[in-house]
Amino acid sequence: MIEVRHLTKYYGEHAAVDDLSFEVEDGTIYGFLGANGAGKTTTMNIMTGYLAPTDGEVMINGHDILEEPAEAKKTIGYLPEIPPVYPDMTVYEYLGFAAALKKIPPRMREEQIDRAVMALELGGTADRLIRNLSKGFRQRVGFAQALLGEPETLILDEPTVGLDPKQIIEIRDLIRELGKTHTVILSSHILSEVSEVCDRVLILKNGRLAACDTPANLAAARSGKGGLHVRSDGSEEAVRGALAGVAGVEDLRIWQDGGETCADITTAPGLDIRRAVSRALFGADCMILGMREEKETLEDIFLELTEDDLQEDAETEPEDGTAEEISRKEEEDR
Amino acid sequence: MTAVYRKEMRSCFTSMTGAVAVAVMLFVTGLMFRYYNLYYGLLTLHYAVSNSVLIFYIVVPVLSMRVFAEERRNRTDQLLLTSPTGITGIVMGKYLALVTVFAIPVIVMCFFPLIMTRFGQETLKWDYVCILAFFVMGCAYLSVGMFISSCTENSIIAAVLCILFVFMTQMMSGIFTIISTGTFQSLLFLLALAVLCGLLMFFMTHSMLTSSFTAALLAFICMLAYYFRPSCFSGRTESVLRILDFATHFEDFAGGSFSVVNLLFFVSYIAAGILLTAQSLLKRRWS
Repeated sequence: MIEVRHLTKYYGEHAAVDDLSFEVEDGTIYGFLGANGAGKTTTMNIMTGYLAPTDGEVMINGHDILEEPAEAKKTIGYLPEIPPVYPDMTVYEYLGFAAALKKIPPRMREEQIDRAVMALELGGTADRLIRNLSKGFRQRVGFAQALLGEPETLILDEPTVGLDPKQIIEIRDLIRELGKTHTVILSSHILSEVSEVCDRVLILKNGRLAACDTPANLAAARSGKGGLHVRSDGSEEAVRGALAGVAGVEDLRIWQDGGETCADITTAPGLDIRRAVSRALFGADCMILGMREEKETLEDIFLELTEDDLQEDAETEPEDGTAEEISRKEEEDR
Repeated sequence: MTAVYRKEMRSCFTSMTGAVAVAVMLFVTGLMFRYYNLYYGLLTLHYAVSNSVLIFYIVVPVLSMRVFAEERRNRTDQLLLTSPTGITGIVMGKYLALVTVFAIPVIVMCFFPLIMTRFGQETLKWDYVCILAFFVMGCAYLSVGMFISSCTENSIIAAVLCILFVFMTQMMSGIFTIISTGTFQSLLFLLALAVLCGLLMFFMTHSMLTSSFTAALLAFICMLAYYFRPSCFSGRTESVLRILDFATHFEDFAGGSFSVVNLLFFVSYIAAGILLTAQSLLKRRWS
């Protein structure tokens, strides 16, 4: 179990992390979300003992990261944002060094290295110099290093960056598999990945905790209204007339799109009016060409929660291209 | 510590820096030995070793510049500092690897006196004291070089600072002659040191109040001492600068008179370098 209590980190006058408190339960996969500069990497660096907090404490499986660093660090596997690999080493040499650094007994090193190499499918590159590997493979070597020492907790800072789509799926599956036996905390800009892989989501905003819950609970808590999108071949008036009479419709927006009539229906949350809508449209001789439920996605929740953050970034730090960077990253991610 | 030591030794010889440093040292010390002892027939290694000191201008930056600077630049320090191996283990592992590489040519140097015994030379003890002095001074330079490397992520800056440090410590006895040693000049020098202390403290703590107060307090003590006993300021500049005078301590040591004071002088530099490197790594976590 990881306990973060009143964590604060100042860089000069700027508070990167501001009085952040949360608990991470065992055997759960946590997704760390936040706009660029929200304090995700700083928090992860403090949790792994790379940085010291200005204030507050981090307890890793009962050990204070500052008071008992060796015990605490033994239970953590960390993959930083930039994989910490040595270009002049082969994959095997590097993993051997990482195993020795993690004080794994010599008789167990080979077995653990082989297991990590297998898990990350690095077998074909084990004897190659890391200098000659692609970014994706370096990322996997960094990930393999994090698995050494059988840590109880894995902290992964953007683990799928630089991987191709096939590798992303493989790594997601691996994280899901690891999540059964480990506590995993991962940060990512790919929101679909977080909602797919993570059991719980932590959203940071300006170094503070904006939300911490399961993606479903977050959606339910924030979703003010339900919604339905319908496409039909009837005229605008006929569709409006049919839908206006359906019980539960709170708001209706109708427009023409490519010869079809589209309707966005707003309802009370949790109310399912699909059958009533079908019946009403059929009765008005309007055939339904398509219908889908509009649900609030993690992307909507993220944007809603971090909106000010993004605006502030765009307004106050245009020279860093933060907003641009976010949209570029989002594009890359897609 | 062993893991870091092994990795560092391996890295020294795969990146060629270790091989270059060993080759340069063997070439220069061998050349000096050939010139002073075999060609001119001098009976002691003292001159050969004293003149070999110039290799520190090359060897110290080559060996120590990348030790921590490169780790920081490549972000591999994250692997080291988040591992269960403590900072002391990391620093000691790296330092011992540097000393081992430096020790290779020094071990070869240990055969020089044995070669000279073939020609009837009987100053073995003196020669080995010379080699010991050379080795200990080299270790002190490497320790300071490692500290410099831990302060920056730019290897070139670390190398330039290392060369500057070697230059200052080798030329300090010459610098004394151009510095006036009057009592008032000594006061000005100590006041400048007080300001320097304040500035250093400000860079380390970012606290204007603490650093100003420290500098003002030191300056006040100096002025108070000067007001009541100006005579105690006589020669003070020289005694402070002598802390940096490696050349004189080395010459006293290598001159054949083994003295614990000179040995301790270099050992304290080694200890200070290691301690400051560890502090520099720790400080980075807090800043």
